[in-house]
Amino acid sequence: MSTLFSALNASASALEAQRARMEVATSNIANSDSTRGANGQPYRRRDVVLSTQPADSFAAALGKTDAVGVKVTGIVEDQTPFRTRYEPSHPDADGQGFVAMPNVDVPEEMVNMLGAARAYQANLNAIGLIRDTMQRALDLGK
Amino acid sequence: MNDITDNAIMTALGRQMTKAVAREAVSAGNLANIDTPGYHAREATFNDALDEELGQTAATVTEVAGLPARRDGNNVQLDRELLTLSRASSDFSAAQTALAAKFRLVRYAINEGR
Repeated sequence: MSTLFSALNASASALEAQRARMEVATSNIANSDSTRGANGQPYRRRDVVLSTQPADSFAAALGKTDAVGVKVTGIVEDQTPFRTRYEPSHPDADGQGFVAMPNVDVPEEMVNMLGAARAYQANLNAIGLIRDTMQRALDLGK
Repeated sequence: MNDITDNAIMTALGRQMTKAVAREAVSAGNLANIDTPGYHAREATFNDALDEELGQTAATVTEVAGLPARRDGNNVQLDRELLTLSRASSDFSAAQTALAAKFRLVRYAINEGR
């Protein structure tokens, strides 16, 4: 049964990770035109960093059938340069009339969100199957 | 004729369930790490029939060979893992059904056919 619980925990950790991805993509889209962030700079696109949990080496996990989970280990800012747009009337325009816009690509974020949603569904599906297996095991005691 | 509990069949069914659970767990782990950069899909493999007869069912987890990796070094395939999961789940259900029938038979005998 502990193997099944580890599988359930792994799937639950994935739900959390995919939800984090979705949230970050949403805030990227929401701020795709924010020219003033907390530090006075335009908003920088954010990305989640995922890693396996527990982060043991493959050799250590060898032979163990416990499921490996996933964890959000950080949210990093995308360091690609800002987009520039010619808009002299903008309050944040520089001397030549160019405004630095966030380095967010809206279609790319939409694709990220779709990917996160599909992965979320897949993990939810896995949880359903694991729960069915547990229920079947318990039915033996009836 | 075998006795009613039929130990060999019971053990075999139990083994099938243990295997199904192991495959299910490894697959769930793969699915959880579908977006983890550098993660490689794993699978549970089992000892051969002779080892099993000697009572060793320990599964070994190995990396799946021959799956094309994406650009981030991850080679988990969504459909493959979902298929493994549902197949393992059905395997478990099949063994459980047979085992439950076996238990029912024993209970029937205990209750003197009532």
